[in-house]
Amino acid sequence: MKNGNDTTTGRDYWRSLEEYSQTPEFAAAVKREFPNATPDMISENSRRDFLKVMGASLAFAGITGCKPAEGWPRWPEEKILPFTNRPEGRMPGNPVYYATAMELAGVGRGLLIKSFDGRPVKVEGNPLHPESQGTSDVLSQASILEMYDPDRMQSLMESQGSSGQYGRSWSEFSVAMEGRMARHRGGRGKGLAVLSEASSSPTLRRLRAQLQSELPESAWFEWEPIARDNERAGSRAAFGRPLRPQYRFDRAQVIASFDDDFLVSHPASVQYAFDFAEGRRMAPAGGGHGEQGGHGGDTRFNRLYAVEATLSPTGGMADHRLPVAPSEVESVLGELAAELLAAPGIDGSALGSVGARLGAFRQGNKHQAFVKQLAQDLLAHRGASLVVVGTRQPAAAHALAHAINAALGNVGHTVSFTEDPAGNDATHAVQIRELVERMKAGRVETLLILGGNPVFDAPADLDFGAALGQVDTSVHLTLYPNETTEAVRWRLPRTHYLESWGDARAWNGTVAIVQPLIRPLFDGRTPAEVVASVLQGGLPNGYDLVRETYQAAFGGPNGDGFEHTWKKALHDGVVADSALPAVNVAIDGGSLAAALGSFAPHEARAGADEIEVVLAQDACVFDGRFANNGWLQELPNTFTKLTWDNALLIGPRMAQEMGLADGDMVRLEAQGRSVEVPIWTTPGQAGKSGTLHLGYGRRVSGKVGTGVGFDAYPLRASENLHLAVAKISKAGGNYAFSATQDHFAIDEAGRKATQARLSSLIQEATLDEYLHGGHAEHGHHPPALPLWDPHEYNGHKWGLSIDLNACTGCNACVIACQSENNIPVVGKTEVSHGREMHWIRIDRYFRGDPDDPQVALQPVACQQCENAPCEQVCPVAATVHSHEGLNDMVYNRCIGTRYCANNCPYKVRRFNFFNFNGGMTAVEKMRPNPDVTMRARGVMEKCSFCVQRIQQVKIVAKNEKRPIADGEIRTACQQACPSQAIVFGDLNDPKSEVRRQEESDRTYALLDAELHTKPRLKYMKRLRNPAAGLTATHEGHGAAGDDAHHG
Amino acid sequence: MPDRRCTERSEKQESMSRFIFPKWLDAIRPLLLLILAGGPAYLIAMGYYGMWPSTRTKGYMPKQPVPYSHAIHVGKLGMDCRYCHTTVEKSSHASIPPTATCMNCHQAIRPESPKLLPVRESYASGEAVEWLKVHNLPDFVYFNHSAHVTRGIGCVSCHGRVDKMEEVWQDAPISMGWCLDCHRAPEKHLRPVEFVTTMDWAPGEDQITLGKRLREENNINPSTDCSTCHR
Repeated sequence: MKNGNDTTTGRDYWRSLEEYSQTPEFAAAVKREFPNATPDMISENSRRDFLKVMGASLAFAGITGCKPAEGWPRWPEEKILPFTNRPEGRMPGNPVYYATAMELAGVGRGLLIKSFDGRPVKVEGNPLHPESQGTSDVLSQASILEMYDPDRMQSLMESQGSSGQYGRSWSEFSVAMEGRMARHRGGRGKGLAVLSEASSSPTLRRLRAQLQSELPESAWFEWEPIARDNERAGSRAAFGRPLRPQYRFDRAQVIASFDDDFLVSHPASVQYAFDFAEGRRMAPAGGGHGEQGGHGGDTRFNRLYAVEATLSPTGGMADHRLPVAPSEVESVLGELAAELLAAPGIDGSALGSVGARLGAFRQGNKHQAFVKQLAQDLLAHRGASLVVVGTRQPAAAHALAHAINAALGNVGHTVSFTEDPAGNDATHAVQIRELVERMKAGRVETLLILGGNPVFDAPADLDFGAALGQVDTSVHLTLYPNETTEAVRWRLPRTHYLESWGDARAWNGTVAIVQPLIRPLFDGRTPAEVVASVLQGGLPNGYDLVRETYQAAFGGPNGDGFEHTWKKALHDGVVADSALPAVNVAIDGGSLAAALGSFAPHEARAGADEIEVVLAQDACVFDGRFANNGWLQELPNTFTKLTWDNALLIGPRMAQEMGLADGDMVRLEAQGRSVEVPIWTTPGQAGKSGTLHLGYGRRVSGKVGTGVGFDAYPLRASENLHLAVAKISKAGGNYAFSATQDHFAIDEAGRKATQARLSSLIQEATLDEYLHGGHAEHGHHPPALPLWDPHEYNGHKWGLSIDLNACTGCNACVIACQSENNIPVVGKTEVSHGREMHWIRIDRYFRGDPDDPQVALQPVACQQCENAPCEQVCPVAATVHSHEGLNDMVYNRCIGTRYCANNCPYKVRRFNFFNFNGGMTAVEKMRPNPDVTMRARGVMEKCSFCVQRIQQVKIVAKNEKRPIADGEIRTACQQACPSQAIVFGDLNDPKSEVRRQEESDRTYALLDAELHTKPRLKYMKRLRNPAAGLTATHEGHGAAGDDAHHG
Repeated sequence: MPDRRCTERSEKQESMSRFIFPKWLDAIRPLLLLILAGGPAYLIAMGYYGMWPSTRTKGYMPKQPVPYSHAIHVGKLGMDCRYCHTTVEKSSHASIPPTATCMNCHQAIRPESPKLLPVRESYASGEAVEWLKVHNLPDFVYFNHSAHVTRGIGCVSCHGRVDKMEEVWQDAPISMGWCLDCHRAPEKHLRPVEFVTTMDWAPGEDQITLGKRLREENNINPSTDCSTCHR
């Protein structure tokens, strides 16, 4: 096998394993010259039918059409319905922004929602929120699609066993519950149980406390499939009380992540990604763009080590990554602890008796080179380093990491601790087991399920569904009908957060008031409203409930103080000074020793024919709740590029050993339960381990989500929610995936040509090379000459710059773009034909050993070339150059020749092969951004640099007779990007940030040297910061151990 | 031998017949001629019809639910356009006024008028008056009122003498060519910003000279890029 070219400039990248090994599938894929022109479009029959239909439609053109205006031949009649009383300050045609928050798995995310004529159309981060700082993540960006989803639960239903379902109203529900509650009150709540999602809402907490004080015999349980219980237990072990770590990655010079994808999967990842990127901006000195070298400013640059089983965005960003089996991660942490303990000046006394036992890790040190180097680096950066452990790791690993951070003096600098709002609650697994036991024992007569989907996602060994059958009256409040809804008596529609009053706490504790952007589209209510209704009778209003919660805190019910504070909290989206204060902590030796009692070095847990299966949170559907969201289903995974599916991700070596190809079905069996899933070979997956994302294989979902992918929950048992050791065997058969990774590949000649250019496409250098100038040796090409007279740009000259140092591949830009620009969803089949419509694709390249590769990511959108090849071939001038350098795409002129897409060297143009936007229901029609034209069939589209935003700001600035400030125009991708890798601005403004970046010596353009396209989208090359002792990640860790197979 | 010759001939005939028009064509020959001669004329006529201003709804005057007269309110009473169309300087829409604006006056003036019944009903019920859109651009065109009014393009330039209209009709063709005429030479229509709503304003000097001066002073360079209006 070929290995990476070790000279740091001639980086030898490849895009997919098929391409790497030249499989027949890849050859077949490139042989179809036009993979997206599949036969269903152009078969003989359909072509003839098409002509027939065309003839007919011409003939009928004169007599059909919309209802014409009376007496006038052409246009349909349209009505204008003004307000009867317009709210103050409202201007029809101008959007209004409201701050709110979305709660996911018990943590709130601060958001700012753009609303047009009373319809929320776009989710942004809230700039005043301490974690969001104006940016947002994939799930909150995509959440808006759910609000307008016609598959949502639309009305109350009561199921009466075999006799069917009956429509009900909320007042009927309330009356029915009052009857039941009268009985429960008699028994002080006996027989009443509530199962809630994890929630940080102070209002719901207040109602819960009220319920438990009024009805002390009632029980309240929480179940969240993706919970952070191990982390909470870890801090309790280390400090003697449950605390929540708050990291400051911007202050850390050396970061070691043990299976912690803090850049994308953490509830505060939006902030963490920004902080992490701050530590490696390598920003040119202020105003110093004329200087030689351009990096006279901030040369601070952190170093990231990652130890993980499956390639995560954090692992992709790492300077050194060590792939180990999931159960071994804690052993590597143990080795690190042992190494650190042996170092002079490290106080291990807090560890007590554990310290001596950790020595055992040192003897069996398999990952010596890696661990030694990491320890050395951490020791050299005491107080400026950070060891973080992922939530899938056991509590002992968390506790040990806290001890390490404390010993390194990091506590108070790079990590602080706050109270955990969940406090000393039992873990979710324990809580749901307790509930199931009560149900099985017949001790639950009335069960109120607030959100969630426990029948689908509760630990498989509990068999929640069967236990639910024992409950006399079960109630499920849910956004969507799901597996649980099918099994309960009362089915209540829940409001979407964009329709609700509520509140939520962010990771750092900041409280945000959730305010509705629109009246509930369907007849929904919030969990707090339902609990209050059950408690108090009647149908209390969410607004009053939330206000009541803050009465004391905001100063009295009727005082002016309350209204003022309340309005400010609503306006800002945050309750001032509500972040949890940092607490002083000290390692509690006793409880730490107890937690580490059985902590000992061990091998990977999988035996022969076994595999360790990581049951992971999915970046798109999360735990399954977003399964009916087409944007998320179609979003290509950062590394696998799979859409509309999950798969058992295994490493290439394991696939080869088992004789498995992509899509081959395997059977996984653990504790008597089994699933059959297809495999997908993923570079960087540790040997003898696999990753299976949760949340797919939904049996009851909407039109989009039902039956997509494979259900991993049967492997999930309550004693270990994150890892299953399963027997693996071939199941026979092959499953067809839709992955976007090899789309736009051309042919063998094209592949070679691409390969030859890769070093210029993905430019990078090590920090050393960069600082000492050994990096500028890309793209030796004779200078290109323009074929045409160059354009002149006298006014604005828009440009975009993407810093590859900061891009984590989180996909927030892709969804933000989809939401802003009304990009349609095309479905799995169309994706497999290469017809996905995303205007941004994130190219990812691997380098080196397929089992331990280096990764490079590169978001590619329209490059807005100054010498655009597309413009020169359009026969109808539907794509033309603007005076500001934009490559304007004029949909109403486009006749669909697709010449432009053919001639585009970057392959960023997307064609509407079908009327993907057609067939919207009345509710769905409210969602699209009214500032962007909906494209019909036969029209080409592509990134426009969010021209609608440019025009909007230009018009307003000129109305106010002022110049446009730098940073005033923000493209949707830029606004969403958590790490702020994207900068947009005017290149003619010498003081603009984008100009400064363009003049940086890290900046380069794709294919410019060769084709002279003069792109306006520039990249800043990625810098890696490998430790001197370990030259690059893929050859990083000693010859010993399980990865000694290079070459 | 004769057989063979016969076969040869028939083969030959068959191969030749490919080049001979079939008999049934004779029957429709006049029709074909008509299409050949009439087709181009038809196409030209269709094109001409398509370009005709009334086809583009110039002069379109739908019947509104309330016979609101701009002639009375603007022409006779001298109300400023912005009394009702309040957002014209700040938003893309000039916006139809809310019912409350009508009722500001009509609670006292002609409170019983049957013509105003829909307005009173709307005010009482909160349901909007369903006005009919007169100037209806295609959905792929983004026009912004504020961008024009604040630059000194008078209302009258596009909407005509609204102060003389009993019911509003569409005065301009609002075709793309018509838009571009002005975007290429705005000096023909520019006026001092304080007079944008004055219906009968006349330049005290040559319009072109004034327009050029205003262009210079206010830095008005309308773009003709596609993305200015199509996004």
